[in-house]
Amino acid sequence: MQKTKLLNVLIPVLSILLAFVIGMLIILALGKNPAEAIGYLMKGAFGSKTNLANTVVRAMPLIFTGLSTCFAYRCGVFNLGGEGQFLAGSMAAITVTLLIGHEGWWVTIVAVLAGTLMGGIWGLLPGILKTWRGLNEMITTIMFNYVATLFMGYLYTTALREGSVPQTAPVPDTTKIGRIIPDLRITWGIVVAILLGVAIWYFLFYTSKGFQLRAVGFNPVASSYNGLSVKRYMLTAFIVSGAIAGLGGACDILGTQFRLISGYGGGYGFDGVALALIAQLHPLATMAVAYFFAVLRVGSTTMQVGTGVPTSVIDIIQALVIIFAVAGSSMMYLPKVRKFVMNLFEKKEAV
Amino acid sequence: MNEILRMEHISKQFGDFYANKDINFDVRKGEVHTLLGENGAGKSTLMNVLIGLYQPTEGSIYLHGEKVHIESPAQAVRLGIGMVHQHFMLVEAMTVMQNIILGDKRYKGLFINHDARRKEILELSWRYGLNVDLEAKITDISVGTQQRVEILKALYRGAELLILDEPTAVLTDIEVEGLYSVIEKLKSEGKSIIFISHKMREVLHVSDRVTILRAGKTIKTLEASETDGKELANLMIGRELVECEYRKAEATGEPVIELKHVSYNKASKHNGLNDVSLAVRCGEILGVAGVDGNGQSQLSQIVTGVTMAEAGEVVLKGCRVSHMTAADFIEKNVSHIPEDRNRMGLVGNMTVEENLLLKSTQNCAFCDANGWHLKKKAMRAYAETMRAKYDIRCQSMEQEIRSLSGGNQQKVILARELEASPDLLVAVHPTRGLDIGATRYVRDTMIEARDKGCAVLLISADFDEVLQMSDRIIVMFEGKVMGEYSGKNPPIQAISLAMAGK
Repeated sequence: MQKTKLLNVLIPVLSILLAFVIGMLIILALGKNPAEAIGYLMKGAFGSKTNLANTVVRAMPLIFTGLSTCFAYRCGVFNLGGEGQFLAGSMAAITVTLLIGHEGWWVTIVAVLAGTLMGGIWGLLPGILKTWRGLNEMITTIMFNYVATLFMGYLYTTALREGSVPQTAPVPDTTKIGRIIPDLRITWGIVVAILLGVAIWYFLFYTSKGFQLRAVGFNPVASSYNGLSVKRYMLTAFIVSGAIAGLGGACDILGTQFRLISGYGGGYGFDGVALALIAQLHPLATMAVAYFFAVLRVGSTTMQVGTGVPTSVIDIIQALVIIFAVAGSSMMYLPKVRKFVMNLFEKKEAV
Repeated sequence: MNEILRMEHISKQFGDFYANKDINFDVRKGEVHTLLGENGAGKSTLMNVLIGLYQPTEGSIYLHGEKVHIESPAQAVRLGIGMVHQHFMLVEAMTVMQNIILGDKRYKGLFINHDARRKEILELSWRYGLNVDLEAKITDISVGTQQRVEILKALYRGAELLILDEPTAVLTDIEVEGLYSVIEKLKSEGKSIIFISHKMREVLHVSDRVTILRAGKTIKTLEASETDGKELANLMIGRELVECEYRKAEATGEPVIELKHVSYNKASKHNGLNDVSLAVRCGEILGVAGVDGNGQSQLSQIVTGVTMAEAGEVVLKGCRVSHMTAADFIEKNVSHIPEDRNRMGLVGNMTVEENLLLKSTQNCAFCDANGWHLKKKAMRAYAETMRAKYDIRCQSMEQEIRSLSGGNQQKVILARELEASPDLLVAVHPTRGLDIGATRYVRDTMIEARDKGCAVLLISADFDEVLQMSDRIIVMFEGKVMGEYSGKNPPIQAISLAMAGK
């Protein structure tokens, strides 16, 4: 009800604040001025038009992987394969682009579709293993991540290698996803991401299928007794969730990175899981948290240059946010804590 | 007799709502004191206050004459209060012994002295006649035995005051007898028991005193020997209870569903069906009597399409079912009140409204564009109508259904299943765990559905319920149908014998 809704907002916000307090203490312990560090962080993120644009660019892949997690987890599918599905999307997109050999907007569309499809297939495979053979998707999706990463290695070192450096050729200029404003690196990919987020939110809460998908996620037994095909929904969740991550990969390679190199795409998938969980699996909140993560990432570089506080402090803060958010949600199941919080609410209501 | 517990002027407020208001309650040493009341009367809240899950808004608790503040269940245990919950709190994968010593804080050593602990537990079980196999896993023992484990667990922790929350709800008749003798033993050893129930007969049988709660208030405390079921029932529901005698249907119509020589998991005595043939006709209630776990679950799953029969024929409305899913059965107007409402009937984390509409969001009354847009207003309006029509008591339709009481949860299922005006209603233990008022309501509604021409298959472990409601009765034992009896003046003796497999 109202109280639970309020808690869903309160827990992440408190977690972020608490994580920052600890982060400041760490900075203080390093012998630096925390206020100054935060100042540089903010300046790095919001100081100029370019910096602001960079936060948006940085947020885009995170939004995709976060939404991918949202969709799967809402249906009770614990997809940890965002990493691999994202890469599958990027690889398909660049492979198609380079193989077609032509340039132009139609290649972009084909490549994006190929990326989405491949992401979907990368989700489908563990989905089949789960629905027909009952294998735990947390294990299989992670294993598929390795397959994707290693296959990417094959692409940039051997199959699609260009020249002496282990990397692929770049996406041709006219095939790149266009920028919204020519000066800034923000591409139309972010528009796709936001529209997708709104669409998923609408789907989950305002359509019949979305409603049924959530029911399956909460209680598969009751759902099957009420005539819902649990297997079909779960398999769909695998595919769609993979496709969302794949679309993200395609948008990222065609709009931001342009070529596969060693270490490409690492961490997006798992960051997606973390931020979707912080956002309590709400698609709109997921986008907000993704942006927040991006702000930290972008700002931290300026902070390091300006004050000498290493960027890893920001990694620590991020990790703390995750720990506090997850711990906070679980703590609400402890009777004493629950009682305490409810008492707080009751007092507030009395006032 | 000296008093061991006194709760004075206890009030517990949630928001504007008083779950308990000015309750006075006391327990003497060596007595069974029953708390009687409908669902939502405040019994659970009062007990949660006693075991420290809730803090009372007002009032005080005295143990052995001393005022105490009970702040946590752990503290309640230290003070000698043990509770046996309606839904057992046992770790299924562990053994009986492990469950009993689990979380016990009296011995601080790094290692567990198994022999000493076992000796202690055996002594207790011998003293109170609670025979259990300490090495058996919880998954392998019956519900009745699990309850004994819970009682042992409480005693092992030094409970002087035991709270039994609707202990008979899950037991078979024989197990209930066993429980009665355990209670006698406990009493004679000087333990006190708070017995929570709403079944008149057992209340009168086991209690020394009875306190009736209604709408969060104490109505009266009576000596059990000086009262009778009728008086208690009147006090409990606050109105005259009419002894219910349903009219039995005589002329019945076409069979809606027929089972011909159906078998499923035949080898199992407790979870299978062996050559079952039956038919449920329009406008009749076919009651299935039998001790729980003789194939009733499997029967209910086959007639609702949740599982497929392995052998034999299922004929639904004249069509032979070869491969159909639960969705197809729902399509053919089969409704189901499943045996476990929390696991099979409701999605606990979703709201009351969402649960009411679980089956019907594809219905054009509630969505446009083939399901791509839900009509939220129509959904809310429908849910509010159902709330009024089925008297569902909740704070709002936005409330998560798991926070409702059992009776109200069942009403939500009833509303969902009966509003579809089904041709066949399969009801499994439809009144299990419900109070008199809700039970009465559920039964009336089912009779009403029958009178409208619905075929009803009633599967229940409550023998009285089957006798009262059924137009025909069959008895199941070890997966087989033992016999068919008329619902009018049923031969009770013969049926009881059949239930025992004779």
